[in-house]
Amino acid sequence: MNPLVVDKVVKQYGDKTAVNGISLEVGKGEIYGLLGANGAGKTTTMRMVLGLIYPDGGSISYNGKPYSTEQLHNMGYLPEERGLYPKIKVSDQLIYLGQLRGMSKKDADKSLKHWLDRFEVPEYYNKRVEELSKGNQQKIGFIAAVIHSPQIIVLDEAFSGLDPVNVELLKSTVKELRDNGTSILFSTHRMEHVEELCRNITILHRSNAVLQGNIKELKKRFPREKVILSTENEVSGLDKINGVTNILRHEYGYELSIANESVGGEILRHAMDQSVITRFEIKEPTLNEIFIKTVGDRHE
Amino acid sequence: MNSFWTVVGFTVKNKVKGKAFIISTVVLALIISIGINLPYIFTQFDNGAKEAKNVGYIQSTSEELALGTSTAEQLKAYYEGQEAPSIKLVAYEDKGSAEQNEKQLKQAISDGDIAGYLEFGALTDSGFPEVTYKSEKLMEYSLTSSIESSLSIIRQSTILQNAGLTEEQMTMLNTPISIQTLQISTGEGAGSIGDGKSVDEQGLNMGVVYFLIILLFMSVMISGQMIASEITAEKSSRVMEILITSVAPLKQMFGKIFGMFIVVIIQLATYVIVMLLNMNLPHNVETFASFNINLSDVDPMLLVYSLIYFLTGFFLFATMFAAVGSLVSRTEELGQAVMPITIISLGGFYISMFSISTPDSLLVKVTSFIPLFSPFVMPLRLGLTDPSVWEVLASIGILLVSIYVAVWFSAKIYRTGVLMYGKRPSWKELRKAMKAYKV
Repeated sequence: MNPLVVDKVVKQYGDKTAVNGISLEVGKGEIYGLLGANGAGKTTTMRMVLGLIYPDGGSISYNGKPYSTEQLHNMGYLPEERGLYPKIKVSDQLIYLGQLRGMSKKDADKSLKHWLDRFEVPEYYNKRVEELSKGNQQKIGFIAAVIHSPQIIVLDEAFSGLDPVNVELLKSTVKELRDNGTSILFSTHRMEHVEELCRNITILHRSNAVLQGNIKELKKRFPREKVILSTENEVSGLDKINGVTNILRHEYGYELSIANESVGGEILRHAMDQSVITRFEIKEPTLNEIFIKTVGDRHE
Repeated sequence: MNSFWTVVGFTVKNKVKGKAFIISTVVLALIISIGINLPYIFTQFDNGAKEAKNVGYIQSTSEELALGTSTAEQLKAYYEGQEAPSIKLVAYEDKGSAEQNEKQLKQAISDGDIAGYLEFGALTDSGFPEVTYKSEKLMEYSLTSSIESSLSIIRQSTILQNAGLTEEQMTMLNTPISIQTLQISTGEGAGSIGDGKSVDEQGLNMGVVYFLIILLFMSVMISGQMIASEITAEKSSRVMEILITSVAPLKQMFGKIFGMFIVVIIQLATYVIVMLLNMNLPHNVETFASFNINLSDVDPMLLVYSLIYFLTGFFLFATMFAAVGSLVSRTEELGQAVMPITIISLGGFYISMFSISTPDSLLVKVTSFIPLFSPFVMPLRLGLTDPSVWEVLASIGILLVSIYVAVWFSAKIYRTGVLMYGKRPSWKELRKAMKAYKV
């Protein structure tokens, strides 16, 4: 039984449908990606998972059980916008939040210190949140979500507003949590993060799940249409090859769009005749391309 | 239940530790201390400043001034006969002409020798000449009325002496007549039953009632605003989303209200302790005793009932403030949103303040049963009249029922409101959202 099972949930605000029959399952030790343009229904889905709002239809179960206040202690949440008291000391409010989720004061304090050390910011213990930069507030918010070692964590745009170093730090932390068996529901706009972290994804578009499944399998469903070619000398006549639809010249060489995968061999043979080849790759589509293709198509 | 106390503890700790709380408590405690010591301070000043005011007049034997001079001398003799005269008459020589005299007296005023001077005109029906008091100041009522009453006493005793009355008869005529009033109740009163209240007790009760109503009003306003603004702040900083995923909203709301109640009690207790300490300072004990104020005379039942109304009133207003706070997304909009509640509490406060001299008017009787007004108005009736037991119990009953309704309704609004962002929702939108959230 997967820790988090969302089954055909529907949410309506008045006559507007915010989420229309979405199902997903997050396994133990898995990070599940929830993608979608702004207003696609990501936050509403997450709020239903958190029990902030109740679905109009469908069901959500946690370790096979329906939602109850006991589940609250098993869940952690990092909202998109900070979600901290600006004027209260970090230690005071995180211990408070830990206590609210059933920890003793001592345990919460210990856990907080552990996490501050983990993020290399033990000096924030006595600082007020408003004194910290946005990126560091995000770290504190993250600690608030994980301080009580929850089974299920919901991260809404967890990496927004962070510099590359801190993104790496948080990413490695998220992976660590995953390896320890935590189920994580993760939403973002940044496709490269999803490719790196998630096993399964759902792409939401206007309240509907338009694409769903394992990332590797999804990618196989989309044809490979790009070839990267780097050579020592100029190669001419690439545009004459049948099936090449577009050629872009970059500093490192050529990026060719092709009609189907078999054209790749043709290009390689053609280039070998003229020059030494330093790089040749038939690229699988990036998630970004898949996303734009799936969501963009429907915009028109 | 455990997380309820966590919320209470957190609320209390953060408020009490806050600079705003400490500063406002200290400042108000200081003001209270000064206020209580004020009567004593005044008496100190009074003794020092009780020098008689000098009032000048022209002493002359000339025909036109003779009448005035003799009146002034009668006044002078009268004031000199008093123990601590407030006025002392000072004679100035006649300079021959009215202009010269006026100039001389004006000079004396500007030199600071006299505060003003008297001028006398033609004889009137009163038996005295027309009197004019001239001074640089505008409102010298106390001085002129003192002169007026002195003149009338002088006239009275002159007439009486001429009529040949004995000393005894004179004393009898001069002794004021006073009537004792005792307020009684004819039914079964809810206060100190059937005892009635003497004038002194009524005065004391009036003071206590004033004090309690102001206390309730202050705590409602201070804590209500704090509750509403904290909830709005939690909402706008999105802490609310984390809180609701950690604690049941109801526990959170009542934890906050109860926490704030403790904060207000701490604050008020500080004030009361400061007040009692000040009142028990040796010099103040004497001063208050001379005013006939003795705190042990306060009717204990009045305090018990006042406490009940204080608690119920506080929780009724606090839940309403919490509900409104949950509807507003930005602190800037809060003032406008809590306006209706503020006005209602102001209404209750002023009804009882303005009715303190007419505690049995129809307005007071009616409003003492209306939930949002009764916590202010019923203590007034209890303190100054003797409402019957059933009236008080009915009023408390209505209040309790309305608290139940307010709590139920506020909880619903709160549960819905805390997740609604953007502009303040209308009633229609709120009802829709309540349905959507299934609360």
